[in-house]
Amino acid sequence: MTTLLEMKQKIKNFYGEHDSWLLPLLKFLLAFLVFQSINSTLGFLEALDNIFIVLILSIICAVLPLNGMAVLGCIMIVAHCYGVGVEVAAFSVLLLLLLMILFLRFTSQDNLALILTPAAFSFHMPAAIPVGSGLLRGPSCAVPACCGVILYYFMEVVSDRSTVLQGKETESVQKLQILLDALINNQEMWLNILAFVVVLMVVYLISRTSADYSWRIGDAAGSVLYILIMILGGMFLNVNINIGSVILSGVLAAVAGLLIEFAALGIDYSRSETTQFEDDEYVYYVKAVPKSFVAQSEKKIKNISSEPAEVPEEEDEEAAPVERIGEESFDFEKQLEESLKDL
Amino acid sequence: MLDVQKIKKMHKLAVYESGEGKKHLAISNYYRSDYIGLALIKNFFLTTIAYGLLLLGWAGYKSDYLMNNLHRMNLPLLVVAVLGGYIILLVVYSVLTYIYCTVKYAKAQKGIQEYYKGLGQMKKIYDREDRRNGRITGRRN
Repeated sequence: MTTLLEMKQKIKNFYGEHDSWLLPLLKFLLAFLVFQSINSTLGFLEALDNIFIVLILSIICAVLPLNGMAVLGCIMIVAHCYGVGVEVAAFSVLLLLLLMILFLRFTSQDNLALILTPAAFSFHMPAAIPVGSGLLRGPSCAVPACCGVILYYFMEVVSDRSTVLQGKETESVQKLQILLDALINNQEMWLNILAFVVVLMVVYLISRTSADYSWRIGDAAGSVLYILIMILGGMFLNVNINIGSVILSGVLAAVAGLLIEFAALGIDYSRSETTQFEDDEYVYYVKAVPKSFVAQSEKKIKNISSEPAEVPEEEDEEAAPVERIGEESFDFEKQLEESLKDL
Repeated sequence: MLDVQKIKKMHKLAVYESGEGKKHLAISNYYRSDYIGLALIKNFFLTTIAYGLLLLGWAGYKSDYLMNNLHRMNLPLLVVAVLGGYIILLVVYSVLTYIYCTVKYAKAQKGIQEYYKGLGQMKKIYDREDRRNGRITGRRN
């Protein structure tokens, strides 16, 4: 644990020194992952499904605010839908506009979750989004996360039914009906939305309590709850759920939650203290938990050699004149005796 | 000699100004009633657009049914239902917008008050420095 804490301190120091280029680099990596996951799910527009285009877009995102990444991701989804058909692109624009007007305009601070959710689904760890949002943000993050779930299942529908949607014999109205039917009657999507909301709320409520290890308890409870809701919901709603994938998602979410706790919180509950005092109006119950901190020992390199060190010729003008005596020629015992005589 | 306390305070104020403060300062330019009123007007247009899009989607989805049964449908009832849905949506979103803007304005006011408090402390530090350096310009504290 000490090694980990030392490493965290080193990383923090390193980030503090180089944040000017580290933050854009992290944004670049995040954007790259998000755009690659969109390309792997859709990938109908060949011009966009190109590593160089993804790299250029990621570089642009590195200098833009995080909401810029969400906007570019949405534009990318619309462009891929255009690769399937104009009607599909129009439907995706309609869907995104509705999501933005009805829900996302109230949660402008948390809209990154909108684009991170589809990416988390592609990496088989969707539960990490409600767990992470519950730990780091708050209940308002449930709105963009749920919109992200809708967006992911929309992408899935487009991907699954691309042959029908691309067919020239299918009329525009039929395409709209196919998309809407597949989206509204998708029980798995509604189950995921329910699981996201419940898990996020539970993780948020538990992690904000003053109990010891509240973040870890919230993290574990959220992961278990996600697995339970998905499996039980799948059984009751007759939805074909891949149990292995759900369990893997829960486990990965728990691991992600632990990493988040270590990085963002890092407190030592073994040294927590409680105290109680009162004034004229209130009684105070105070619990203080110290942060885990490891003082890094500064390494100094000292050369030890038998030869006397070279003394620079130029002396500092302001320094007090000190008579320099070689270590070998200095008689410590004699000096000590003389000073004792003076006493 | 560098005054560490002053630098810390300046840094705090600068971080606020370039981050949250930018939004807070923009909000605090309005009176509370003006800010919320403007947001409600914006909400009216946005909700109308969203409802129009929803209606468009619904009409497209049900186009076959509407084409075949439009002459048999009770059109006044349909119009009343559509208008009723619009009014309900508008009222719900207006209430949501009102709550959202009220909370946002209150937060901005709190942030701005802290900011002005910080600025006042900075002024005191500068005045103290001026007095110490014997360069008081005739202004009384």
